[in-house]
Amino acid sequence: MKVLTAAVAGLALFTFANVQAAYPDRPIKMIVPWAAGGDTDNIFRPFAPALQKALGGTTVVIANIGGASGTVGAREAKGSPADGYTLYAVHDYIHLTYYTGMSDVSYADFEPVCLIAATPSILTASPKTKWNTMKEMVADAKANPGQISVGATLGSTSHFFPAMVEKAAGIKFKYISYDGLAQRMNAILGGHIDLTDGNLTQKGKVDAAQLKFLAIATEKRSPELPNVPTLKELGYNVIYSVSRGLLAPKGTPADVLSKLEGACGQAAKDPTFAESMRKQGTDVHYLDHKGYAEFLKQNDALNKDLSRDLGLLKR
Amino acid sequence: MFDLLLAGIENVLHLKYLVPLFLGTLVGLIGGALPGVTITMTIIIVLPFTFGLDPLQGLATMTGVYVGGSAGGAITAALIGIPGTPSAITTTFDGFPMTQKGQPGRAIWLGIWSSCFGGLLAGIFLIGATGPLAAIALEFGPWEYFSLFVFALSMVAGLTEGSLLKGLLAGVIGLAITIVGSDPIMSVPRFTLGTEFLRNGFPFLPVLIGIFAFAQLMTDIEKMKGSEHAAAPIKAPPLTVSHLSVLWEIFSRPFLLAWSTLVGILIGVLPAIGGSAATVMAYDQAKKFSKHPERFGKGNPEGIIASEASCNANVGGSLVTIMAFGIPGDAVTAVMLGAMTIHGIQSGPLFVSQHPQIAYGIYAAYLLAHPLMVLICAFGARLFLRVVTVPKSMLIPNVLVLCVIGAFALNNIMEDVVVLLLFGLVGYALVKARFPLAPLILGLILGDQIEVNLLRAIMSDANPWLFITRPISGFLLALSVASVLFALWQHRRQKGRTREVDQEPDF
Amino acid sequence: MTRDGIAGLICLALAIGMLVLTRGLPQSSFVPLGPDFYPRIVLVIMAVLSALLIAADLWQRRAGAALAAASAEPAAERRNYRLVGITFAVFAGYVILLPFVGYRVATFIFVAALQSAFDPPRGARRWAMVLISALASAAITFIVFQHYLSVLLPRGKWTDW
Repeated sequence: MKVLTAAVAGLALFTFANVQAAYPDRPIKMIVPWAAGGDTDNIFRPFAPALQKALGGTTVVIANIGGASGTVGAREAKGSPADGYTLYAVHDYIHLTYYTGMSDVSYADFEPVCLIAATPSILTASPKTKWNTMKEMVADAKANPGQISVGATLGSTSHFFPAMVEKAAGIKFKYISYDGLAQRMNAILGGHIDLTDGNLTQKGKVDAAQLKFLAIATEKRSPELPNVPTLKELGYNVIYSVSRGLLAPKGTPADVLSKLEGACGQAAKDPTFAESMRKQGTDVHYLDHKGYAEFLKQNDALNKDLSRDLGLLKR
Repeated sequence: MFDLLLAGIENVLHLKYLVPLFLGTLVGLIGGALPGVTITMTIIIVLPFTFGLDPLQGLATMTGVYVGGSAGGAITAALIGIPGTPSAITTTFDGFPMTQKGQPGRAIWLGIWSSCFGGLLAGIFLIGATGPLAAIALEFGPWEYFSLFVFALSMVAGLTEGSLLKGLLAGVIGLAITIVGSDPIMSVPRFTLGTEFLRNGFPFLPVLIGIFAFAQLMTDIEKMKGSEHAAAPIKAPPLTVSHLSVLWEIFSRPFLLAWSTLVGILIGVLPAIGGSAATVMAYDQAKKFSKHPERFGKGNPEGIIASEASCNANVGGSLVTIMAFGIPGDAVTAVMLGAMTIHGIQSGPLFVSQHPQIAYGIYAAYLLAHPLMVLICAFGARLFLRVVTVPKSMLIPNVLVLCVIGAFALNNIMEDVVVLLLFGLVGYALVKARFPLAPLILGLILGDQIEVNLLRAIMSDANPWLFITRPISGFLLALSVASVLFALWQHRRQKGRTREVDQEPDF
Repeated sequence: MTRDGIAGLICLALAIGMLVLTRGLPQSSFVPLGPDFYPRIVLVIMAVLSALLIAADLWQRRAGAALAAASAEPAAERRNYRLVGITFAVFAGYVILLPFVGYRVATFIFVAALQSAFDPPRGARRWAMVLISALASAAITFIVFQHYLSVLLPRGKWTDW
């Protein structure tokens, strides 16, 4: 009897839960194309509850669809129905994987929703290296070309940033594949790689003398790191940060998009989200649908040029 | 460290964590007690339930399942003589005779208390050793990791029952499954035959769930007879016992308890050798050290103590390996690791120092799961026997539904469910061809890592001799060769004495 | 040939087939070893081991033809392979249906179908039991996962439900 009552009660919930209502009436899936625990995941995980609040309580579920430099998730997002129930958390890699020929998915396959954050890159060195400054590193690299090892997700942002430094300083690195920041940290702490693309999330380890920040790729020094010089002031004109935003599959209805955009703007102002971004050394950098569309277009052209400059352009 | 642990325990004592831990332990005990449902299976079933919880809640649940499952096997083993999980097989040797002699309470509580103490002793090791081992793991470069994985594979292949050749081949099949799909470095599609479906390769958890769940469930289904109704519930005999005398029986043999625990821990730390190897080895040793080896198999309490203490100590040892190295040692820990990843935790050398709250939360959950388990058994041991007799015709469809949810919810893509079906067929075929599954699963777990570390090593330094000349790496490779040679020698010696029998797959 | 021989042949064929597929994989300028390097090692080992397995099988056959007859499998209990086939078929049906009719409908059909295959219900009462338990499975898992645990479950393309 108990089973029967439970079944009937379940059935009732089951059917009533499905009354048609205005968007959004069911959970929204946010595709993060990297493994959980990576920096992209760390930024969108606190963003999801803020977005959820702004959407009036609709559940926002993060789906980590990682693999092959983020291209698996990109393909999955592209193939999802354009009904506003699938969002795609993206960063600059979408341009790079397209131009380096690793994937066929381009930013133009999506509708921009909003840009939320930018994380400046910091050139980070292993504690086991003998240099303490950018200058010593460059001198060493000039003396031993191709000997300094850099851990990077090949073909993605963590590969491009050191490559830009390489070009600006006229030096040559050796690249070793370490997908994702978490793996690179294990390797650099053990001294198995010399350099990597880091960011402010690793400040704790620098304070504990487990890592060395050589230079930051911003216009001005970061208030969190007053002692770390910018690449620009050292004479290497490299400004680089990884920008993260939300996209929706192409063809998502305009009213749905505007609803999402509004919620996104509200969520970006959420104090809890802001606090967790500050802890991760990331600037909340909100752009609406139009602004983000413009940004993506410029960024795409920029990344195409970058790929060409670095000899990685495949299309 | 001690205050961190205290804070961890205090944290886990909150209802928010205590309830998942309790439920996990309960489900683990039931799963462990159900014959034909292994710990791995129970963890696979519980996995999707943890996706929506916060990380520590999820991991507390899984830890509970792991601890409970390892102890639960003893209940059915002692009372009805069927091991609830493969690792409880040695508990049947002495537990069941003791029950037949009219002492079921003594048999089952010897098992439960030994599990508890073995597990708790291993907990001390877990907490003390993870940190230092993590420091060593940090020094491991790509060469050392590569050699470590090769060593693990060769050792498991060598330890399998039956043919060494098939053990090795099973391991290589596991590796071959991982090379399908985009290559791990530059994402070049391999063996995809031009299809989009194969581009993602075969994601590891759906493959694992498919192989395990189907290999096991189908073996059960084979034995079903058309229409079969539940066997009449087994009448549980009264389990009254003097706990003091049982505790005295255990503590009057401190050496046995300590040694069995140690065996369990060591087997647990070594990647890929499961709980059943630990219990068999501990039982064997207990018999060798005993003054009265002839009493074994006839209801000797020493047999139960050795078997159960090593079984739960093995859990502590396995947890060390995933927490310090970030490498799952066997299928159970692989699914545990999957659960961690879903919660945004990358285990590995930096895990304990970066997420002390979660790491010590896991320690605390592990320690607390043991008294919880004893408590649950005190109230529920008899009830479990009733659950054990749920008709398979109801159980199996629902287990399969949970497998689908587990496979789907991981990435939210339908392809993963298709992979589940595909590898269900493969798993069943492999069991029918009598391939051991343990090396295959290990190959599957380590495949990508072996490739990535091999390429990393060569990208770091083109000199291939470094694999041999770097001391740790060279030592590990030498051990691999030795373990295969040893297995070869042992198989030769045993030839003729044992013949391959159509045995239940041992997970 | 016995099971070993057949299994060996299948593995050998797979290994050789996959080795052929490793030809012509694009090389990258960053990685000194191409994407074909590691697969080839694995596949060659697999081919060698399979060949050894076949050889061992044939050799054993010749050495112990008489012995093999004696050690034929003990007349084990009859295995219900028909039911295994049905289970795989019903499960395949479930996997195919899922994306079209969604989790709730497909799960209901699957659990009901498999339960009746295992234990054919006779009489209205037992049918009702099967249907109710299938409904309960679908409803309870759906509510628990989607509503309480925020785990998304497949939705149907046809039913949008």
